[in-house]
Amino acid sequence: MGSAKAALEWHGSTLLRRVTGIVRRSVDGPVVVVRAPGQELPALDPAVEIVQDAREGRGPLQGLAAGLEAIAGRAPAAYVSSTDVPLLHPAFVARVLGALSDGIDVVLPEIGGYPQPLAAAYRPALRGVVEQLIAEDRLRPAFLFERCRVLRVGEQRLLDDPRLARADPELSSVANLNERSDYERARALPPPAVVVQRFGTLAPRSGSRAEIVRACTLAAAATAVGLTLDEHVVAALNGDQISRSPELPLVSGDTVAFLAADAGG
Amino acid sequence: MEEQVPGGYFGQALIVDLDAATAHTKPIGESVLRSFIGGAGLGAWLMHECCPARADPLDPRAPLMFVFSPLVGTPLTTSAKFAVVGKSPLTGRLTDALASSHFAIAGKLTGHDAIVVRGTCAQPSVLMIDGSSVSLAPAGDLWGLSAAEAERRLRERIGPAWRVAAIGPAGERLARYATISHDGRHAGRGGLGAVMGSKRCKAIMVRGHEKVLSADRAAVLAAAKELRTRSFGPATAKYRELGTMANLLAFNAISTLPTRNFTAATFEDAPALAAEEIAELRLLARSSCASCSIGCEHLYRGPGGSKTRIEYENVFALGPLCGVGDPDAVIAASARCDELGLDTISTGGTIAWAMECAEAGLLDAPWLRFGDRGALLRAIEEIGAREGLGELLAEGSRLASARVGRGSDAFAAHVKGLELPGYEPRTLQSMALGLAVNSRGADHNRSGAYESDLSGRHDRLLAGEPHVVAAIDSEDRAAVMDSLILCKFLRGVFREPFSEWASLLNAVTGWDADADELACTARRIVLAKRLFNLREGWTCDEDWLPQRFLSESLELPSGRLATLSADRLRAMIDSYYRNRGLDATGLPAVGTLHELHLDRLIHN
Repeated sequence: MGSAKAALEWHGSTLLRRVTGIVRRSVDGPVVVVRAPGQELPALDPAVEIVQDAREGRGPLQGLAAGLEAIAGRAPAAYVSSTDVPLLHPAFVARVLGALSDGIDVVLPEIGGYPQPLAAAYRPALRGVVEQLIAEDRLRPAFLFERCRVLRVGEQRLLDDPRLARADPELSSVANLNERSDYERARALPPPAVVVQRFGTLAPRSGSRAEIVRACTLAAAATAVGLTLDEHVVAALNGDQISRSPELPLVSGDTVAFLAADAGG
Repeated sequence: MEEQVPGGYFGQALIVDLDAATAHTKPIGESVLRSFIGGAGLGAWLMHECCPARADPLDPRAPLMFVFSPLVGTPLTTSAKFAVVGKSPLTGRLTDALASSHFAIAGKLTGHDAIVVRGTCAQPSVLMIDGSSVSLAPAGDLWGLSAAEAERRLRERIGPAWRVAAIGPAGERLARYATISHDGRHAGRGGLGAVMGSKRCKAIMVRGHEKVLSADRAAVLAAAKELRTRSFGPATAKYRELGTMANLLAFNAISTLPTRNFTAATFEDAPALAAEEIAELRLLARSSCASCSIGCEHLYRGPGGSKTRIEYENVFALGPLCGVGDPDAVIAASARCDELGLDTISTGGTIAWAMECAEAGLLDAPWLRFGDRGALLRAIEEIGAREGLGELLAEGSRLASARVGRGSDAFAAHVKGLELPGYEPRTLQSMALGLAVNSRGADHNRSGAYESDLSGRHDRLLAGEPHVVAAIDSEDRAAVMDSLILCKFLRGVFREPFSEWASLLNAVTGWDADADELACTARRIVLAKRLFNLREGWTCDEDWLPQRFLSESLELPSGRLATLSADRLRAMIDSYYRNRGLDATGLPAVGTLHELHLDRLIHN
């Protein structure tokens, strides 16, 4: 790629900020970034926790061990993602985590004939097995899957979920960017279409209060309708999270409601 | 040696005895004034001083107080406010209802920082306070009139220099959520109109002759000029342009609009009631309270072409909460509540409770159904007249459900007897704590913690420590603003509120208060109210939310469930108690009382 993927620009944000933001939108628990020793990271949401790999160059299992240790006792499962999947959709994360049931340790999507260990759900209790494998120098995720109960979920089964089928029918959520050309192709795609609503004093004097714009971030959505995200404006995402974070990642199907921050009577 | 009175004060309260039609003054020392400021804070102290322990709110001995503040009469914008303070007939606890009008200025210029009314008139009367002179006039011809009509006739009869606070028919009939009105404004929550009605006092008229002297007049003028300029800025735009009604559609979008007695948090007919819609069709004029530069009042075309002032809380309570989506009906209902002198939130909350009970077969009122505009208007009439079902509903949802029994209390959405305002606690979990622990009951003016929930600083659906901090901060700010008194719509213009408020106070009084002192004052006022309730029989069981909010989840458009469990609420309340210096049962620790000088200032 020629430069650190985490900090690659993504429509006014960075790849890592976007991916962590989408995961954060999808889960109730902590979001943890595992970095290599000494690795510099771009600015992240303050709620995102950062931990460090014990050793560099030991592959995904080393990162998985550090991440599972960080969430131990705080979450019943972890969705594990790579940095370079800017088209990740919350519906995909929800689908994978939703497939985790009693007696299953890992939900492993298989897309295009390939398992996706960096788009999968893991039980935190696997940490011991993972550390044992690292100690044995068996560093491929496939070795882990031999030692635990894995639910492999193919494309069709993933898309049985109507929400995911609607939001990400091509399963672009797992499209990672290995080459510079992958990045440039993905970057050239139009930003997702989102519905923007404006209320109260932020609403236009005439015409519809809801419109569809293309925007990757909250700031872009605000700009698209002529608003500035200052202290007098907040946004509700899909009627749920309230945010004024300019880099909050948006995905197709989102509804953003801009409200006056001076709420109340 | 006579104590010097600080600027902005007269250093005394007027104590009126209606039984004998006499009055005397009660000196208030500077240490008390500095410790409680005025308005709601000074009112809390006066209640400790003047209210006999455990007196029934409608007992002649129970006082009704009109408490002013040091800023009243200065040119500071939004300062023409006063607090009406007493024991609430709904809650049996302390209540303070704030309002803005010329009554505040005229009342203070009688030369008193508070007017305390005790006793009962022998017949329906008007209390006239002309400086320190007090008299009663018969009010038989006014009995039964709306407060606005009584006020109009009295000023026509006696003179425009007099200012009037009056009750409507609901107050005369002791509806437990009756209001006190003046200049078309209402001291609304808590039912102090019924306290005034119990004293057979139709109206209180005041005429002032004194002047308010500020310690540093030039500084006050400069501050007033600057504050006025800031009041025209973006922080108040919402209030100027659409008023509080701007909340309705926004709250609907974020599942915070209580609907059909809190069984839902979105209302399908919200767009028809939204300010954005009805302003275009019905807005007649904008107006301001006395001494206010914000101009938040929006007057809409009401029944018969009348001008009706409506706010978010009126519309939420009489619209979505009762399932009514017809703007004509909601505006008419709001106008009728004003005429009868009824608090719209408790009216809507109690009717919504009755609608749910009727639909569940717990109440024999087949005509009363969610969404039925005719039923809404009929219920309001019956409450105002205390006739038919109104005899029950005029008691408020808590007492009515106790009377009906059969599990109907599960539908009564109140805290300490006060019906909930238009903020859904499951989707605003800082606010949930604020509603639960506030001494006045479920109230959005003494705790505005919803602001933090809507700021994005924390997840509004996942209650935790940040929510507790936000709720305490909100209560503290409200305690100071309600004691100075400044309008809360101005709150967004203060960058460093406590230090800016201290500067305003210092310019008027000549004190050298700073932000730390005012933060301490805020805590003192919050605990003084709690101590009063404690004296009146409060227990920590009252700091809680109705079961519905703890056992029923709401689904958001995102698919996420908004759930507030009893455990989560308990954890927040425990933390609130710790952070407030209270013990596990909500009682102030001795050290806390000492630190805040409450052991010295409050004697009972």
